Amino acid sequence: MLASLQKRLHDTVRQGVFHPQFHFLAYALLGVLLLLPQLTGLVTVGLFTRIFVLAVFGMSYDLLRGYAGIINLGHALFFGGGTYIAGIVFANYGTSPSMLGLAVLGTTAYAMLAALLMGKIAFRGGNVVACAMITLALGEIVRQIAESWRAVTHGADGLTFPIPMMFRDRVALYYYALAFMVIMMLALRQFIMSPTGRVLLAIRENEQRAIFLGYNTASYKLVALQVAGVVCGWSGVMFALTSRFANTELLTVQQTLNALLVTIVGGTGTLYGAIVGTAFVQLAQHTLLGLRGVHPIFERWLLFFGAIYVFVVLFMPTGIVGLYQRFISHWLQPVKPR
Amino acid sequence: MSNPIIWTKDLTVSFGAHRVVDNVSIAIDQGVFTTIIGPNGAGKTSLFNLISGLIKPTSGQVFMRGTDITHLSPIERVKMGMGRSFQLTNLFPALTVHENVRLAVQARSDLGLDMWRPFHRFRAINDEVESLLGDVRLTEKRSFLAAHLTHSEQRKLELAMVLSLKPAVLLLDEPTAGMALEDVPAMLELLTTIKNDKQITTVLIEHKMDLVASLSDVVIVLASGAILTKGNPSEVADNALVRTAYLGGGKYGAASA
Repeated sequence: MLASLQKRLHDTVRQGVFHPQFHFLAYALLGVLLLLPQLTGLVTVGLFTRIFVLAVFGMSYDLLRGYAGIINLGHALFFGGGTYIAGIVFANYGTSPSMLGLAVLGTTAYAMLAALLMGKIAFRGGNVVACAMITLALGEIVRQIAESWRAVTHGADGLTFPIPMMFRDRVALYYYALAFMVIMMLALRQFIMSPTGRVLLAIRENEQRAIFLGYNTASYKLVALQVAGVVCGWSGVMFALTSRFANTELLTVQQTLNALLVTIVGGTGTLYGAIVGTAFVQLAQHTLLGLRGVHPIFERWLLFFGAIYVFVVLFMPTGIVGLYQRFISHWLQPVKPR
Repeated sequence: MSNPIIWTKDLTVSFGAHRVVDNVSIAIDQGVFTTIIGPNGAGKTSLFNLISGLIKPTSGQVFMRGTDITHLSPIERVKMGMGRSFQLTNLFPALTVHENVRLAVQARSDLGLDMWRPFHRFRAINDEVESLLGDVRLTEKRSFLAAHLTHSEQRKLELAMVLSLKPAVLLLDEPTAGMALEDVPAMLELLTTIKNDKQITTVLIEHKMDLVASLSDVVIVLASGAILTKGNPSEVADNALVRTAYLGGGKYGAASA
């Protein structure tokens, strides 16, 4: 019985189905997060708000990389695009709540169009590397546009903008961001569990077999990119509310690599791995920077962070979520299913 | 007299200077169990790749039910009723047995791009999956990952997936390749069931000659990319050319004796 539980755990995690045990953990964690603003100061609240928003960015990346097996190196164009669109709307048309609606609608339209163009170009050949290179180039084009179109984006100086009143309270924003993350996670999970989502898993596992079952894999990948792009764009809008500032750094490959990093650290193909990974990366960065007072070498926190990253890749290839699974399976004494 | 469902006209494919399939014109008749045999490198799998659309021919044409499908994509050919298995097992390794078959059944159903309802709510599909798993005797392994099955089980799983497409033409590339000897009878039984289903026209590539002899209505022998001979199993077995092609014929002669 234990063995079958362990095996089910393994199967369900690989296939993006949540196990009851994870439900319990998730509820416990959610409870703690709901109480967090009462227990800590504004610095921690701000840090976690950022984690929630960036976790959605990471989950949208995981949908592509972990489920559909697509390497998108231009994913930041959705994120930065959302932040810029929100910023431009707030800076030019005021900060009434309906302007947020306009920003969200604008971002949705932008992300769908961008994903359509990107997908039509990148999924032609079907080769993973070609796809990565094409998306890299498209991401750079958008970054270049944002840098050159100074009249609207203020170019390299960045764009500072006000935000609607309802989001100015840090604690309120914390709860909005938490709700945003939970809703996006449930929505993406629903998508992965749908017939279309299952085909994405099939494409990741073996695209040729999927084609020879009659699936038009290119159009399924396009749908995945559309969904991931829109969700990513929305996380960009939420990021605008936390930062009140947009610059071209949000559109760089580095920004995309941050998403890649959190999915690797947390565990790919799990959705919640991106949440765990984002939390880990942000908390590690925060902690290492906090050690500056102890020794000035921690000014170079990236040095330590790089070491942690190498450690994770070498010894935890399935990420933190994978490690948790292995711990559980050890504890339950698995019988190798054969 | 004949009613071909698939036929090829002067089909040729070259990789560099090497003509792998050389002017092959064959007709596969509806409901006739056809087996393609030939020594390694004869071009059997390349012929399958041409028919199923995995590779494009250098010259020549492929027809299905009177339509020229030479320039259609594999996806379009599957939609026309062509199913194929691969010589090297071709599954979704990290998905369960059930999910592998379910994806195949889903491919044939017209769900389109349904994005909201969870997959396990589609009862008709799930029932069909269960019945297919029963057909290939994999019901008990339904929640195993495909990667954790034995090789024989994986071959059976792949067959179940192709069958769930309800193909009019079934291209099976060595379904017993690498199978343990004791598992071959089960596969033979399965292939016999498929043969008796008159909706399906099967084309088989196979090396195990006892299997070929007991299943085939027609045997086509390929050597060096060209058709050597064609006939019923006993005619082919007696053909001197075939024996030479198999380097003295020991393998074929022994099996047919």
